[in-house]
Amino acid sequence: MQIAAYLTRVWRVPVTIEHLARIPGGASRETYRFDATAGGRIRQLILRRDPVGSLLDTDRQIEFEAYRTACGRLPVPEPIAFERDGAELERPFFLMERIDGGIVASPFTAAPFGSHASKIGEAFFRHLGTLAAMDPAPTPLGDILAAPAPYTCWRVALDHWAGVIDADEAHPQPIVRAAIRRLRAHPPPPAQAVRIVHGDYRSGNIIHDGVGGILAILDWEMAHLGDPIEDLGWAFDPIWNHFDDGVVCGMIPRANAIAAWEAASGLTVDPVALRWWSLFNAVKGQAIWTSAAREYRANGCIDPVLGISGWYTARRHDEIIAAQLIAFAEATA
Amino acid sequence: MTPTLPEILRGNFMSLAQPQTPDMAGDFMTSRIGVIALLNLLAAQDAERGTAAIVAENAAIESMLQASTTYAVVCPDPANAITPAAIDARNAALRRALIVLHTAVESLGDNDTDRRILALYALMAAGRRLELPPLP
Repeated sequence: MQIAAYLTRVWRVPVTIEHLARIPGGASRETYRFDATAGGRIRQLILRRDPVGSLLDTDRQIEFEAYRTACGRLPVPEPIAFERDGAELERPFFLMERIDGGIVASPFTAAPFGSHASKIGEAFFRHLGTLAAMDPAPTPLGDILAAPAPYTCWRVALDHWAGVIDADEAHPQPIVRAAIRRLRAHPPPPAQAVRIVHGDYRSGNIIHDGVGGILAILDWEMAHLGDPIEDLGWAFDPIWNHFDDGVVCGMIPRANAIAAWEAASGLTVDPVALRWWSLFNAVKGQAIWTSAAREYRANGCIDPVLGISGWYTARRHDEIIAAQLIAFAEATA
Repeated sequence: MTPTLPEILRGNFMSLAQPQTPDMAGDFMTSRIGVIALLNLLAAQDAERGTAAIVAENAAIESMLQASTTYAVVCPDPANAITPAAIDARNAALRRALIVLHTAVESLGDNDTDRRILALYALMAAGRRLELPPLP
């Protein structure tokens, strides 16, 4: 067994592996749960390994260093090990502590948090505000990521995701192309501060306890330094609203989310900036789905998660972008 | 558009037909089959109205291009498109022309035509909508 061989070597003690099982979700990494027994102690762990075909082409070290950065400050699993060259597991991977007993909400369910939505929502946006308050410079993530200037955050982000669409688009997409042009023509104000951006902060990337508590914030693979308003724009995207337009992420009204975030971050939400980052995030979503469609077809259409991402969610985001383009044009006329 | 309906349906078959490894048993396979079922549900919708939606979109884009006579954007010649693949290929050509038109409209600051194109985008996106019911 490859994992046993790896852990035996690095822990310098015989290790046995039990209860290895693949976990659903997450099209950008293969994720497994298992128990590792070493010296009579059982450790419950998660393995995140690069797949052959992936939804996202991200640096796995960034995700590992993001967990190291957040550990002790936010509810995240403890990172254990990272191997860029794959070692015994042949493809890049990292290991982290496993958090059992929680629930992860599917984006395709209604009211996933039930009567605890308000409590979870307050905590969810307070944690995001805590991240936005953090100085990235002395952190593990700050060590490996370049910080853009406050006035270039938007351009760096937009250039990246527009480039993804350029590279992966198979069918012309006039709606997202119009959004990209509109965003370039009307840039947002400079970032108040350059901070760690989670990059995929949404309801499906937390583990909650079912009674109003957040056990862990997951999926840091798109973490980067930039304008912290970016994360709010992603969390507020209608695609994550769980069929309820009155709340964000199926949790709390948008105004409450902003208030919780501002109180924790010490920053303010400029409506003009938020409007720009909201349209940007819809573009970013469409870029991710465009890549998903490319990977789905390139790998023989056998991964249904890539299929639904490249098909249903892509069409949903076209509707969201089209609606936001009309509002954006009215606001900037 | 990609992926196409035949790709989705063939992919669902291949997903279920390929041998599974032991570590895929349990929650992973349950979730995988659920997503395949969801794709089938959406595929049924696309089979019912997808081609008609693209034909309507093609007509709407063609109308927009022909109405914008002040712009030197060439509307692709109508082809004898009777198969879904041929209709989709014409859609790609029309969409490319629409991108050229909208870029020119923005350059000139033609707000009236800009508004009409943005309204067309909303119609195009709504026409391709796949209705996803909340899952249990």
